[in-house]
Order: sequence, then structure tokens, then C-alpha cells
Amino acid sequence: MSAAVPPPSRDRARAVIRRGTVLSTIALLGIAGVYVLAAAFTPIEARQGVAQKIFYLHVPAAWSALLAFSLVGIVSVLYLWLEDPRLDRFAASSAEVGVVFAAVMLTTGPIWAKPIWGTWWTWDARLTLTLFLFFLFVGYLSLRGALHDRRERARFSAVVGIMGLVLVPFVHLSVYLFRTLHPQPIVLKPSAPSLPWEMLRTLLVSTLMFTLLYVGLVTLRYGIGLAAEAREAHDAG
Amino acid sequence: MPAEPPANGGYAVAAYAVAAFVLLFYFVSLLRKARK
Repeated sequence: MSAAVPPPSRDRARAVIRRGTVLSTIALLGIAGVYVLAAAFTPIEARQGVAQKIFYLHVPAAWSALLAFSLVGIVSVLYLWLEDPRLDRFAASSAEVGVVFAAVMLTTGPIWAKPIWGTWWTWDARLTLTLFLFFLFVGYLSLRGALHDRRERARFSAVVGIMGLVLVPFVHLSVYLFRTLHPQPIVLKPSAPSLPWEMLRTLLVSTLMFTLLYVGLVTLRYGIGLAAEAREAHDAG
Repeated sequence: MPAEPPANGGYAVAAYAVAAFVLLFYFVSLLRKARK
């Protein structure tokens, strides 16, 4: 099944870029507010000290990265079924933004681990699987860059995107499935969140702002994809 | 008397700075691409 979608117009691309820019700016200002909230209005954890506050960035970045990669996988399944180029464009945008959030997760994690665990990195299940997921999506973006035929690029990268989706639950459940140093989930778990309210509030606000930033950056990146296709269609004739 | 929390604020400052740098760098690079 293939959807007949006309080439995007430049005006539409501009409107999407504008929407993405506004949303991203609001989210970045919100994250600046989270910095103030975490630094000045959230208590210091007694055993871990100020380094525990890294958690308010690391966890939302991890959430956004896993959300981004999951949506790439789901949309890739839909693309293989419907062959709608909009789905492929969204998958490419979400994968790129997911890699950026994964980079934040994979840099803030070791900076927290050094004072708390005494080491920057350990090859335990959660950390290793997360690193594999990051590399898989770096490979996904490299694959997209290497293929020039649009339909071939969309089909091949959809298969890689689905592989990423398969890995996501293992990343989340790895702390239950394997013996690992990484802390267990304290919010996304069957029982109630085990955090004092002031800390939970900062975490929730940060997660909301990171999710908004995900939406904003994907919209902006999607608009850039639309503009490039509109330019190609215009040049072709 | 409860023990004082460890003094490790430098790590938090470093993590917050790295996160801000990565996110702003990507946002600005997208804005530059959008202008082309």
C-alpha cells in the first residue's frame, strides 16, 4: 500500500520550522527554569550530596531518548505497511533528536557515577545496552546519509529502526533482568514513586520540559526535511 | 548528629554545563540549517 502525497510546499515548510522554533525556545527556557528549581528549591540528598541533582537532567534525557527511539520503531513499522513518506521523515527527525538526548544521558550518567560509584563507567547490563542503543541509532543516521534513493533509504532504515524498538524494553528492564549497579526505577515502576515531593516535583517539571523540547526539536527537524524536499521538487521541475 | 552530605557540587555543575552545551549546540545547528 502506498500513499499518494504531493511534494511539500515551501510555505508549509516555513510554517513547520516556525512552530518548531517557538516550541523549542519555550522548552529551553523551561529547562533553564528547571536549573533554578533544582539548584535553589530542591533539597540536597543526604548521602549523595549535590551530585544527586544530576538525576534531574539524566532521567528526563533518558526518558526523551527512549521515547524518541520507541517512536522511530513504531513509525517504521507503519512505514513498511503504508509507505507514506511523512512517516519516514518523522522517523529520521525523531532518530536524530533521540541521539542528541542519548548523548546528554550518556555524558551526565558517568559524571554522576564518578563521585557516587567511584568510577566513570562500568560494563554492566544497563549501561552497555544503552550504549548499544546509542550506536544503533548513530548507525541508523549513517545509513540514511549513505543511501540516496529515497524509497530504498526509507525501507532499509525502517528495518534498523524496528531493531532499535526491540532493544528499548531490554534497556528499561535490564535493572530487573540482570545484576547491575544502576539504580532501579523510582518513578516508572508498579508501586508508588519513592521520592520526597520536592524532588519528585523537580523531576516531573524537568521531564515535562524535556518532552516539550523533544516535540519542538522534532518539529523543527521535520520542517527542515520538508524544506529540503520542497527545494528538490522545485529544482526538478 | 547526622553526617554532612559529601562535597561534590563540581560534578553537578559539570553535568549541567555539558547538558546545556549539547542541547543549545544542536538547537543552534538546526536553526542555521533552517536558514539555508
